[in-house]
Amino acid sequence: MNAWHWISPAKRKRIIKQRYLYLMLVPAFLWSVLFAYGPMVGLYMAFIDYQPTLGKFWSSFFGGKFVGLQWFNLFFAGDEFFLIMRNTLVSSVLSIAIGFVVPIVIAMALNEVRYMAFKRVVQTVSYMPYFISWVIAANIFVTLLSADGLVNELLKLLGLTRDSILFMQEGRYFWGIVAGANTWKDMGYNSIIYLAAIASINPELYEAARVDGAGRVKQAAYITLPMLKPTIVILLILAVGNLLNTGFDQYYLLGNSLNRDYSDVLDTYAFRYGLQNGMFSYASAVGLFKSIVAFLLVLGVNSLARRMKSNSLF
Amino acid sequence: MGSITFNHVYKRYKGEARPAVNDFHLSIEEGEFLVLVGPSGCGKSTTLRMLAGLEEISEGDLYIDDKYVNYLSPKDRDIAMVFQNYALYPNLSVYENIALGLKLRKTAKHDIELRVNRVARILEISHLLGRKPNQLSGGQKQRVALGRAIAREPQVFLMDEPLSNLDAKLRAQTRAEIIKLQSELKRTTVYVTHDQVEAMTMGTRIVVMKDGIIQQVAPPRELYDQPANLFVAGFIGSPQMNFIQGSVTREDGRFYFVNKRIKLPVPEHHYPGFNRDRNGISFIMGVRPEHALLKADTGREEEEGWVRCEVEMTEITGADSYVYVRLGEQTVIVRTDPDKLHRKDDKLLVSFAMNKVHFFEEQSGDSVSLKGDAQ
Ligand SMILES: Nc1ncnc2c1ncn2[C@@H]1O[C@H](COP(=O)(O)OP(=O)(O)O)[C@@H](O)[C@H]1O
Ligand SMILES: [Mg+2]
Repeated sequence: MNAWHWISPAKRKRIIKQRYLYLMLVPAFLWSVLFAYGPMVGLYMAFIDYQPTLGKFWSSFFGGKFVGLQWFNLFFAGDEFFLIMRNTLVSSVLSIAIGFVVPIVIAMALNEVRYMAFKRVVQTVSYMPYFISWVIAANIFVTLLSADGLVNELLKLLGLTRDSILFMQEGRYFWGIVAGANTWKDMGYNSIIYLAAIASINPELYEAARVDGAGRVKQAAYITLPMLKPTIVILLILAVGNLLNTGFDQYYLLGNSLNRDYSDVLDTYAFRYGLQNGMFSYASAVGLFKSIVAFLLVLGVNSLARRMKSNSLF
Repeated sequence: MGSITFNHVYKRYKGEARPAVNDFHLSIEEGEFLVLVGPSGCGKSTTLRMLAGLEEISEGDLYIDDKYVNYLSPKDRDIAMVFQNYALYPNLSVYENIALGLKLRKTAKHDIELRVNRVARILEISHLLGRKPNQLSGGQKQRVALGRAIAREPQVFLMDEPLSNLDAKLRAQTRAEIIKLQSELKRTTVYVTHDQVEAMTMGTRIVVMKDGIIQQVAPPRELYDQPANLFVAGFIGSPQMNFIQGSVTREDGRFYFVNKRIKLPVPEHHYPGFNRDRNGISFIMGVRPEHALLKADTGREEEEGWVRCEVEMTEITGADSYVYVRLGEQTVIVRTDPDKLHRKDDKLLVSFAMNKVHFFEEQSGDSVSLKGDAQ
């Protein structure tokens, strides 16, 4: 008896009929096994005292001493826990708050533009930063915000400040800078989703509003925004799920020893301990903690959305 | 109040070879229920949308109440429009949907309340006022859309296929309600549909369009009895009018419609149309199914006016039955008593009520009878 016999003849027939669809699923299946589920084995590392031995990964992996939640306790009790969590949460919430609204505004504004060439240029230009690597993007920001950079020169020209503001050196500016950089990089890309959603709105709605006497602003308020709501809710769920996933590159590249108290987030922290100091088990525990919180957040927001009778993700 | 004049109006879309609306020239009287009808793509919606101000007029003048409105925005035209897909504001309640147009026009709050409630009572949607559009059925949504139009108390109602998303029963019911509402409100209404039954039952006057061009403007009865051309004759009426190809010959001062199988006397009131030189021209004789008659073939010599035919199939609609008979290469539909049963391949005789038939020039499609009348 193999598994095939457990499937009813009708189902068997359907599977055979749809064999090419199943075939198309194979790459995605392999991908998730290899890159999503496979590495989860490594989570075991968070619960042992892993000491790397050259050339003997598996024996040192499974031979490591089981220590339970020791690494988690160490992380929660550590001096830096509060600081790291604060930086991660505040910076992330700020990034979402700004980075979430701007694409909607861009999409709605672009939708009002009647001059197609201008619309296309704006769309392309705002889309481009998405393809720039953070190494370059971070350097652009560091240069712009340096003591004799463009921003300071402008501020002085406008008489808003006499001495250069040390943006990159003073930690209190860091969250804003990262939020701005995140927004700038992703706004064009994210606005495409909204533009697509707007394009699918039945034009009759706008015509009815015009006959009713609603201007552009009223049309946006009564038609565009409500029609975008399902898209907004779904993207918000996804964004909140990523609340602790601040991203690593921008913090690593924009952060420095002077603004460390503001720029050190879960990802950079895990990186520093795991790779730079060789505390693999500790870094794994920090990473796992992040994933669990993210998972709970997604579930929470999704059920909230469902209770609000809005669109939920699942 | 509420009269409309189209003065040689054209609509040309960019990149389209022929105009979507071609020389639309028509006056609509105050209080009229005018229906624009025609196949899909014939320019009905475009015409209505130009009237609404949602589409620019390429050429010609448009007047509402003798006021030149070519460049007036929709909200300033004193019109209200009902759309095919209801077009309700998705996040506003039914009450707010009906009220918004009034609110935007700065109507006093208690006045809005009064009007919305009155309209809701007329349309029997009072119990739905608190709901959102996505909690309504299609029929209810369309009532709300009607309510939104009525509450504004405009001079002109415009409706673009408002019933085509409803199921058959609801469509008939809502159709009756719109007719009743219009006769009570006595407001000029321009109604677009592709459905000739809807057009015939609703309009006090009907405009038949094809390829952007007006084919005929007439009250329903006249459209049915005196179609101006082949297109109108074929479009109005279900089942379709039968078209029989032939030519006209003259013998002893009398005209006959002839082809390989038939020779039928042309009634005298059509003579003026044939008196001009019509030699060698092909004609089409149009006969409605109710103007044809069947009887059993006795097998004797052909009597005058009766033509041999055989039954192809029978369609029973309940009150009537339609027999499809073959007459050479031609199929002719005959309305008969449903009690008489005809089987496939039955041999029968068919005749036509010649004083009711229509003649058209095959080339131009124009009615010969009307041309004759004009002479
Ligand atoms: N925005 C547009 N651009 C180009 N052509 C259009 C546009 N809208 C309608 N048309 C064309 O104009 C003709 C009439 O369309 P329409 O008025 O919508 O027909 P209908 O009688 O079905 O309502 C059609 O051939 C259609 O393809
Ligand atoms: Mg249309």
